[in-house]
Formats: sequence, C-alpha cells, structure tokens
Amino acid sequence: MQNSTLLEPWDAGLGAQEPWPQPIHLYQPYEVEQILLPDNANCLAVQAYLKMCNLDFTIEPRWNAEFMSPSGRVPFIKCGAFVVPDFDNIVSFLNSKGTNLSESLSSEDKVNLRAFLSLVNNVLYNSELYVTWYHMDTYKTITKERHGSVYPWPLNHMLNWQKRNQVTKRLNILGYKNKKLDDVFEDVKKCCESLSERLEDKPYFFGNKPNELDALVFGHIFSIITTPLTNNVLGSIVRSYPTLIRHCRDIENSIFSPHAIGINSIMNS
Amino acid sequence: MSSNESFQLEIWKGDWGLPSVEVDCLKILAYAKFSNLSLHVKTTNNPFKSPTGQLPVLRYQNEVYTSVDQIFDLFQQHKFTPDIDITRLQSAEIDAFKTMLDECVRPAIQYLWWVDVQNLNQVIRPWYCKVLSFPFNFYYPGKYEKQAKFMVEALHPTKEEKDAEVSIYSKAQKCITLLSTRLGESNYFFGSNPTTFDVLVFSHLAPILKVPLPNCSLQNHLKACSNLVKFTNGILQKYFEDDYQEYEKSKSEKEMKTKVQKDDFPNKRRNQILAGIFAGTAMLGYAWSMGIVQAPEDDHRQMEYMYADDAEEDDDE
Repeated sequence: MQNSTLLEPWDAGLGAQEPWPQPIHLYQPYEVEQILLPDNANCLAVQAYLKMCNLDFTIEPRWNAEFMSPSGRVPFIKCGAFVVPDFDNIVSFLNSKGTNLSESLSSEDKVNLRAFLSLVNNVLYNSELYVTWYHMDTYKTITKERHGSVYPWPLNHMLNWQKRNQVTKRLNILGYKNKKLDDVFEDVKKCCESLSERLEDKPYFFGNKPNELDALVFGHIFSIITTPLTNNVLGSIVRSYPTLIRHCRDIENSIFSPHAIGINSIMNS
Repeated sequence: MSSNESFQLEIWKGDWGLPSVEVDCLKILAYAKFSNLSLHVKTTNNPFKSPTGQLPVLRYQNEVYTSVDQIFDLFQQHKFTPDIDITRLQSAEIDAFKTMLDECVRPAIQYLWWVDVQNLNQVIRPWYCKVLSFPFNFYYPGKYEKQAKFMVEALHPTKEEKDAEVSIYSKAQKCITLLSTRLGESNYFFGSNPTTFDVLVFSHLAPILKVPLPNCSLQNHLKACSNLVKFTNGILQKYFEDDYQEYEKSKSEKEMKTKVQKDDFPNKRRNQILAGIFAGTAMLGYAWSMGIVQAPEDDHRQMEYMYADDAEEDDDE
C-alpha cells in the first residue's frame, strides 16, 4: 500500500542494520542570547525525547544552526552519516533504529497519539511563531534583538527582515492573516484544554511510559512558561491548567537533573 | 420564516456525485445534515460577493460568516450540533484530528488540484471556468492556482518543488492510513451516529475519492483503504442521496450513450454482405469483360458454329 518512492530517507529504514552510530550530536542555536521561543520549544522537546530513550548526546550550539539544517529549522541531529532535522523526523529516525517508546500502545492509541502530536506541532508552534514574529511589540523588543544578535551590522537587519517574511508567509497560508492576538490566545487555550482533557490525572498522555508526545508537550509548555515575553498572557494561559504544569514538572524532575533548568523557582514566583 | 431568519449558505456547486466539490462547503453541508438543520443553500459559484474571496459564505440576520469555525459556533449557539453524546475526551480528540487533517490532507488536495499541471489543465481549470460566470472565469482559477503555489512555497521554503510534492503526498498518505486504522470496522468514528469527527473526515476524503483526476496517486491510496471508501460512500448515499443518485443516473446514461456511439455502424453485417456482393460482381464483371471467364459462352458459340457448319453443308447440298 505504501509507495516506497514517497518515503523520506530516514523512514525507509536505510542502514537499519547498522549498529548505533554513536554519539549523537544535537545542533541548536545559542540558548542564552540567541534562541527564540518556538525554536527553544522544539530543541527542548528533542532533548527530552533523547533522554527518554536513554541515548547519549552532546549539544552543539551553533549561531548558524538554522542554516546548517537541511529543512531550515532547528534543531537537527547528526548521527553517523545521517543529518536529521525536526522533531517528527528525528522520532521516526530513532524508531527506524529500533528505539520506539510508543510501540506497546494499542493501534487506536497510536493513531490518537499522532493526532495529538499534530495538534501540538501546529497550534502551539504556530501560536509561538505568531507571538514571536507577528506581534509587533514582541518582535521589536525581543525577537529583533535576539535573532539579530549573532550577525554583524547590516546583515542583522536583513536577516531579521528575511526571516520575518518567511514566517509571515507561512502564517498567512495557515489562516493567521485575519487573526488577532486574542484569537491566537483563544486557540492556545483550546489546545491546552484538549491536552489536559487527554492527560486527566494520569502521569503520561498515553500508556504508563513517557513517549514522544510527552516530550513534545514538555518542550512547548516548559518554554512557554519560562520564556520572558513582553506580556505574559501566553504563560498565564498555560499556567491555568494545573495538570499540564504538573506533567511538565514531573518530566523535568524525572529526566533532567532536578532544578537543572529552574522551573520550580519560576513557578513559585 | 423570512429570508433574514433562515441560514443562507452560498457554496460551490457539486459534481461527480458530491453535493459540493470544495472541502469547506462540504463541511458545512455535512454538519447541517448530521444535526438536522435545514439550510437555504444557493449554489452561487461566485465568490465575488464573499468578503474573503472564498466560498462558503453563510448569511444570517444581516451577519456574514466566512470561516468554518465561526459557522460551526453559530450553529452550536442555535443548538444544532451532531455532538450530543460526546465526552470531553472525545471532543479533545476531534480537535486533534482536525489539526492533523488540516496539516496533512488539505495541502495535498490543494496541490493535487491546483499545482499538478495535468490535473489542473485537464479537469480543474475547465471545471471552474465552466461554472464561474463570465468575467470571473478569467480571474478566479488563476488566483486559486497562485494561492496554491504560494502555499507550497510557504510551507516548504527550503525544498525543491519535486521534494515538496513528495513530502506533501507522503504526509497525506500516512494520514489516510492512520484514519483507516482509527475507523476500523465501525460505521462512524464515535459510536453509531455521525459526529463532527465524521464531518471533518468525510469532507476531506470525499473530493479525493470522487473527483476523477488524471493523476490520482492519492485516490488510489484511498481506494486501498476499503473501510474509508465504504464510510465516504455510505454518508453520500445516506445523507446526500439526491446528488449521489443523480450522478449515478447521469453516469449510467452517459455510459449508454457512449455505448451507442461506439456502435457507429448500425447495419454492419448487412453492409459487409452488400460490399462483398458488390466486390464480387465487380471482379466477375471485369474478368468477364477481359475474357478470362468465358466457358459457358464457348459451348454456346461452338453450338452456333456447329449449326452454322450444318447450314453451310446444307447450302452446299
């Protein structure tokens, strides 16, 4: 049924027999001065997923990670001869290598898992893009400065402008053209509601083990509540869903060393 | 009920057994059918008066609604909804699958219709040019084509067009396979009655399944998932019976017509025999005139000579 020519190289099980080409290098922008909210969420999600898989990896911060990535999006991993960008592709690449955290789920749960992944990947990611690049206040005070920080003078303005154009194009196509900031917040609210409905008071979204959805949700929720923006509406929306915050804290405690990223101090403040 | 009080919906017209060919129009129609809401449907085929340049447009009490979410909200406010026995978890799932369909299947349909050159030139553009009224048929097809190309560029900024096509189709195929797994053997996604989930899946799959395109990789993939085909056809038959029957009827009529047309020579056998007789006569005639065939006449002439000889002999005597 599947047409083999329609598969991405990392789906096709190329080199599946090869032993693990350790170590994995994870390329991402500089966390402190450069990275932006949407990228940070994805980088964190990939880190969390790799940790859940018990795979060793080294983080390689590069100022030009975006331009090194085959898809133009960060993060990407280099693993032996493979360079794999984006969360979804990294997950399917690791699956093809035999590390699959959602294997034990029923087939119905697997399908639902894919749907929720796409919910987070679209609604949360695009809303973050909107706030970072489309919302003028945030763009002027935070995004411009951080994104341009690594380039010399005339280049920083040009690249900011270019990137903003690219993101605007994407958001317009996805129907954000007529949306106001409040509509976007409404979307985020709805998405969080769906997620917390799915999570209820279980420790993980599906099954009794963390899997890719937990990693992705953790990445986004954690980034949203820890990233300072011009207004903290996005953070306060997320914070009004205690189940999601609890989930986020649990994941952080279990896979990152306690207090490593400092979520507790921020949430208590 | 005055015309102001009823829901007035403007949509693209249907074809190929669909009540409308466009995904969003199908969503509204199916939602209304599933929740027993009667709409005042106008197949205007003209997006000129729509504020966004797109159909569907819903007019209700002097208000204009263009986005599907807005329209669904409006219906829900008036207590028209197919999701009566839906749990909150199920409605969360509906949200999730909605984004999945929007992410995976919608770009594929756009690509299939407006970017694939063969489909565009042979089916889609002629169809739109036919249904749109005069000055608009020069404008809108080109506009939609441009929009679709723009979409491919915006969603895959770093990819070549060929790579983008591969990734769009493979995403859609995976999504269809997932839906097929999710549906299993049941009639509808949640229980025995259709819900918003079914509205969304149906409206995305029906155009893929029904519109006959020359390049139909996605349609073939969908046809391989027999439960989804059964699901889509089931909804069409049950809820949009008129369109379905009408198309089936016109299709079979057309088939009959083409059959008749194939019989271009109605008295073929008779003509063959006549032609055979004619050719035979002509050949025989030629042979006779050239003197190749002359056997019976020779006998006759000999007889005549014999008589002539006799006569001469008689004269001599």
